[in-house]
Amino acid sequence: MADPLTASRRRFLQAAGATLTAGMAARTLPAWAAGNVTYWHHFTSQTEFDGLEQVMGDFAKAFPDVTVQQENIPNAEFMAKFTSAVIADARADTSMVTSDRLPDMVALDGLVDLTDRIQAWDKLPFFSDAAWSGITIDEKMYGIPAFSFVSWAYYRKDWFDEAGLAPPETFEDFVEAAVKLTDPSKNRYGFGLRGGDGGQSMLLDVFDAYGALIYENNSISVDVPKAVEAVTFYSDLFTKLKVAQPSAPGDSYRQIMEGFRTGQTAMVWHHTGSLTEISDALSEGQFATTLRPAGPSAQIARVSYLYNGIMSDRNLEDSWSWIAHWGQVDAAIAMLQATGYFPATTEVADDARITSNDLYRAAIDSLAIGTPMPKVVGLSGWMRNSMLPEFQKVLVGSATPEQAVDAMAKNLERTVR
Amino acid sequence: MAVQAEMPRRPRSAAGLDLLRPGQWLGWVSEHRYWAYFLIIPSILFIFAIIIYPTANGIILSFREMRLTRPDLGTGFIGLRHYADMLDDPVFWVALINTLKWVVMSVTLEFALGLAAALALNRDLPGIRLISVLILLPWFLPNVVAGNIWALMLDPRLGVLNDIFIKLGFLSEGKAWFADPDTALLIAVIVEGWHGYPFFALLFLAALKGIPKDLYKAAAVDGAGTLQAFWQITLPGLKMIIVAVVILRVIGLVNSPELLLILTGGGPGNATQVLSLYAFHSAYLLFDFGYAGALSVVMFVILMVFCVIYLRVSRLTAD
Repeated sequence: MADPLTASRRRFLQAAGATLTAGMAARTLPAWAAGNVTYWHHFTSQTEFDGLEQVMGDFAKAFPDVTVQQENIPNAEFMAKFTSAVIADARADTSMVTSDRLPDMVALDGLVDLTDRIQAWDKLPFFSDAAWSGITIDEKMYGIPAFSFVSWAYYRKDWFDEAGLAPPETFEDFVEAAVKLTDPSKNRYGFGLRGGDGGQSMLLDVFDAYGALIYENNSISVDVPKAVEAVTFYSDLFTKLKVAQPSAPGDSYRQIMEGFRTGQTAMVWHHTGSLTEISDALSEGQFATTLRPAGPSAQIARVSYLYNGIMSDRNLEDSWSWIAHWGQVDAAIAMLQATGYFPATTEVADDARITSNDLYRAAIDSLAIGTPMPKVVGLSGWMRNSMLPEFQKVLVGSATPEQAVDAMAKNLERTVR
Repeated sequence: MAVQAEMPRRPRSAAGLDLLRPGQWLGWVSEHRYWAYFLIIPSILFIFAIIIYPTANGIILSFREMRLTRPDLGTGFIGLRHYADMLDDPVFWVALINTLKWVVMSVTLEFALGLAAALALNRDLPGIRLISVLILLPWFLPNVVAGNIWALMLDPRLGVLNDIFIKLGFLSEGKAWFADPDTALLIAVIVEGWHGYPFFALLFLAALKGIPKDLYKAAAVDGAGTLQAFWQITLPGLKMIIVAVVILRVIGLVNSPELLLILTGGGPGNATQVLSLYAFHSAYLLFDFGYAGALSVVMFVILMVFCVIYLRVSRLTAD
């Protein structure tokens, strides 16, 4: 007679074997399906989501058989998610791409080369060479421009008029205005300096305005004396002249915008993307826009485009339809109306709704002299991991400009080369 | 005369089992003393896959060149170069010291608050259940939410706490706590203390419930005061749970950069940079997974050393 325990063990083995066999035989179902396009983006504000919703709505009408599944990834974590997805081969179909991240994304082999499709696309001529250059590496194109961000400065027009000041055209004018408009007893400061997260972009602009970075053959190096001048100029606003708000070393986007909106700062540097937010808070006549002031070496008016690229070729046709849709007139107008973001396509850039608005004048002027973000592998990481913390040290008095630049140059050597 | 064809011999084991019939030898194994080992094979494979392999891979990674944005550098073995770079890296030393400060101050604060909360909750008072839930609330909040709540409360322009301090006359204007290297880490520790103390409180409370009340009654009869009872009965009764909770919390704090990432991002000027955050930045901003791996190995070694020392101390105490 069979031992019941043994029989049970045998049954267990049979069951385990059957389960294992079934498991091995089962085909893993793909996580995607034809007709579905996943889209990763880092939109944050309600207006951006409204714009996205409208674009998706228009796309659904044009392509009823394709469903877009959007996924929001916080900007600060975007590259972490992107990198993990590439390593684990858990990619989305499509993704938002910025020019400063493009070299890293391509180096990670995270984007599909779209050169042939774009060259054959009938909308190709409606985007400027600068727009295409921001998404091109080694003559390969990796995405389609969705909309643009044009860097400019906001200033309190009412305060400037009251003080008899004109919008600053040079760094000297800028400092003079900032000093005149600073009055700590009224909790009013001349400039909303962004020393926290994201401040590295403004710092890069100051460096380039001083000619402190030398770009050669897809690499970059620091001109130390000029970099020291740049850091000294920018940090003096906080440490010596005290024309920047006391919280500057930790302030990021939310704080500098809040400071400007609530009447604590007279000038702030950002781009066209924040116009809707400022317009909602301040009335016409209270504020205006102008070009960023010119430095000793150059006037930096950064024009950056936001692109959409394809991460995976498994659903290529539908993915292409989705990112190409962003280049259509209706999509560009939908985003403009919802967010104020500038269209990237010249098909609508001359639209009366843009040219008739005085606030956009500075953006149109900036576009004329605009320069894209430099494309150097490792640059964005160095800016965030070295340039910004070293500059913060100068702001809080734990390093001199010379020491900070020395550390930046040393780290750049290791990071970029 | 018909010749009967000889059947081919089937392979058999030393025990006489037909090796072509898995059911037979599996049945034999199931009755053997090795059956127990056979049963734990799936668990061992599972542990290997999710613990041993990633750990070993992480350690191996620290000896390799692995910069994802620089495929031209290859992924070869580079020996101890990452560790040598670390010795020359001032940010590493700052992060190491900050990690020590961060962990010691946070654990001390959480321990003190947690013990006080547990002792207060270990009484039969009306409404104690509701108070228990309220005290535990911070623990339920994700780090991201807790960090953002405190960032807003401490905001120099909009923060309610700055407003209160100004009205009470402690401050003349809103202070940017996280923009000052002298206060950034300290305030982050206070936020962490608020967020983490319920973990201590919960486990201490469970341990307190296990101490027999008779001991306190006997101590009272012998004339022991509250303080004496605490030193002689309560603390010895909590000793083992204290060891366990402190170790778990230290591991959690050394490994989790989320709160500092949200509150300060490691700034200003690396004033709140800790090893876990630095490893995260090295991996996902510089894409230097080799160097990030070396930083992680250092954290791993520190935690191992700490655990061994602590366990030995607790064993001596127990003896």
